[in-house]
Amino acid sequence: MKGIFNLLMNNPKALFGSVILFMFIFVAVFAPLLTDHVPNKRTGKPHEYPSPIVKIAQAYPDGWVAENLADDKRTMLMSKDAEHVLGTTRMGRDIWAQLAYGARVSLGVGFGAGIVVCFLATVIGISAGYFGGRVDDILSAAMNVMLVIPQYPLLFVLAAFIGEAGPLTIALIIGFTSWAWGARVIRAQTMALSEKEFVKAAEVLGESRLRIIFIEILPNLVSIVGASFIGSVMYAIMMEATISFLGLGDPGTISWGIMLYNVQTSSSILVGAWWELLAPCGALITLSIGLAMLNFAVDEIANPQLRSNPGMKRFEKMQKADKKARAAHVQAEVPHFPGEQDLAKDAR
Amino acid sequence: MGFFLRRLSFYFIALLFAATLNFIIPRAMPGDPVTMMFANATVQVTPERIAAMKELLGFVDGPLIVQFGMYIKSVLTWDLGVSVQFYPLSVNTVLGNAVGWSLFLAGSAVLLSFTLGSVLGIFAAWTRGSKFDAIISPGMLVFQAVPQVVTAMLLMFVFAVGLQWFPTGYAYSPGLTPDWTSWEFLKNVAYHAVLPLIGASIVQIGGFLIAMRNNMINLLGEDYITMAKGKGLSENRVVFNYAARNAMLPSVTALSMSLGMAIGGQMIIEIIFNYPGLGTVLLNAINARDYQVLQGQLLVMTLFMLFFNLLADMLYVLLDPRLRKGA
Repeated sequence: MKGIFNLLMNNPKALFGSVILFMFIFVAVFAPLLTDHVPNKRTGKPHEYPSPIVKIAQAYPDGWVAENLADDKRTMLMSKDAEHVLGTTRMGRDIWAQLAYGARVSLGVGFGAGIVVCFLATVIGISAGYFGGRVDDILSAAMNVMLVIPQYPLLFVLAAFIGEAGPLTIALIIGFTSWAWGARVIRAQTMALSEKEFVKAAEVLGESRLRIIFIEILPNLVSIVGASFIGSVMYAIMMEATISFLGLGDPGTISWGIMLYNVQTSSSILVGAWWELLAPCGALITLSIGLAMLNFAVDEIANPQLRSNPGMKRFEKMQKADKKARAAHVQAEVPHFPGEQDLAKDAR
Repeated sequence: MGFFLRRLSFYFIALLFAATLNFIIPRAMPGDPVTMMFANATVQVTPERIAAMKELLGFVDGPLIVQFGMYIKSVLTWDLGVSVQFYPLSVNTVLGNAVGWSLFLAGSAVLLSFTLGSVLGIFAAWTRGSKFDAIISPGMLVFQAVPQVVTAMLLMFVFAVGLQWFPTGYAYSPGLTPDWTSWEFLKNVAYHAVLPLIGASIVQIGGFLIAMRNNMINLLGEDYITMAKGKGLSENRVVFNYAARNAMLPSVTALSMSLGMAIGGQMIIEIIFNYPGLGTVLLNAINARDYQVLQGQLLVMTLFMLFFNLLADMLYVLLDPRLRKGA
């Protein structure tokens, strides 16, 4: 636990990424406590302005906000109660509630698909890399075939044929179609590892193959598996948003992709309802940035050569600490003769 | 030659696999596509009509193995059937009209992002640890992580609807007749392609940048770079002639592969900007339950992937002499 904490503190990217991720998890878990409205019912008038905008515009009727952001008189009149933090959609639903409840679906699909991908990639990659021979031939062929079949159209066509796919279905089809890349990387690494002395030693000692895989090989793959997990979570969140946006998801669920779908179908962009577009976009961008930072951090931890500051920061810190420690030991010299200090002062 | 034969046979197997997938997906789903098609028809539907439609669309009755044989035969003879949505037109025509636009968009996006990404990557690697590297490398990766739906919608909202600098959709103005010799038309096409192009390239720059940067960093420690520096060559020469040239190798083959991926990957951009490429065709086919076009679409996209992968293999052999001897 302390190790993880230290790791986060020493790596600003990891810290930044995990803060964002935990913020979203917090919002998703406590969504009912954080919102005043239900997400899937009409709770306001269509297209109300976000409440902070309304309040500022009411306070300064001639200010910048009133003239540029809240410039529609009719909408302003409709949202004069300022009840909705992020405004309402065309259907009069609360955007903040949709965003908070939507985080559940997006994170759920992301992590669900991530776990499926990670599991499949690890099992297939290690089996292919460690057992070799016929097993490797078959599994590698499967990987290569999966890699050359285009992902996006396959996912869209699958989702289309299933029809109004719910979050669970989406997570499963993403999971089962995108394990190949991770499996390939893990296979290559496993092959390299199984040539190492410690694996050979374990084999000579007569350890069972399962034990070698779980005790000798798997722990050395943790960073790669971790990177592929974060990568798949990112990919799954992106694909969920895309599939829902295209209208291939179940329109009854509340997710960020469905929010974007509603923006598109109610042509909110064209009528100038910027808040309805910016809310899901902002959420998706923030979460992606957080995950990308985490991914970058995992990459750096796994491969020190790629760090932009290879150890220099630590070196500087050590140097500073060293100087300080020395300074404490060096004592002020005792004057050699009376009046020396005055002399030194004059010379200066 | 052995290397090529092995690759070719693998690609053929992959194609057969894709065709099988194409065959299985519509048949594994509940409901018969043809019956579903008639479900919301307004005219009287007789069993004969359904049978006739089935035959027209290539859904032969009979044991699965016979159906499969017929399907593989139609794939190999490149007879993809008739589109339901644009009734008399064949799937070949419908897809053929869209392929050009998709290739144009994907090709220019990949070229643009490859050039930008590689140049930025070279500088990032050379000035490793500087402010430039610390900002540009994670920055571009972040752009790559943002879903394309979001970038495309925001681009459209800001530049097409808000500032009205660019058109909101389609590949050329509705009034114009396509005439590839007239300067006016070409200008119009370029003007309409700006936003989709930005949307499609911004997500790819990061990949090329990081690949280039990591290759360069690994190469910069090599002895011949130290040697070149020791000879007193100018910095430009060391960077571009010694380091970048070798670091480029994996990137060039990645270029070809990403062309195949881009055609599938940019579908969402095409849909948002209503660009008349394969993506828009796919969405329309999905909405119209046009199964023939859907199947053909998946097959065409797989073919593109395979073709560009093969091209990547060839480039690899061409660029890396070690492979030529080894195989």
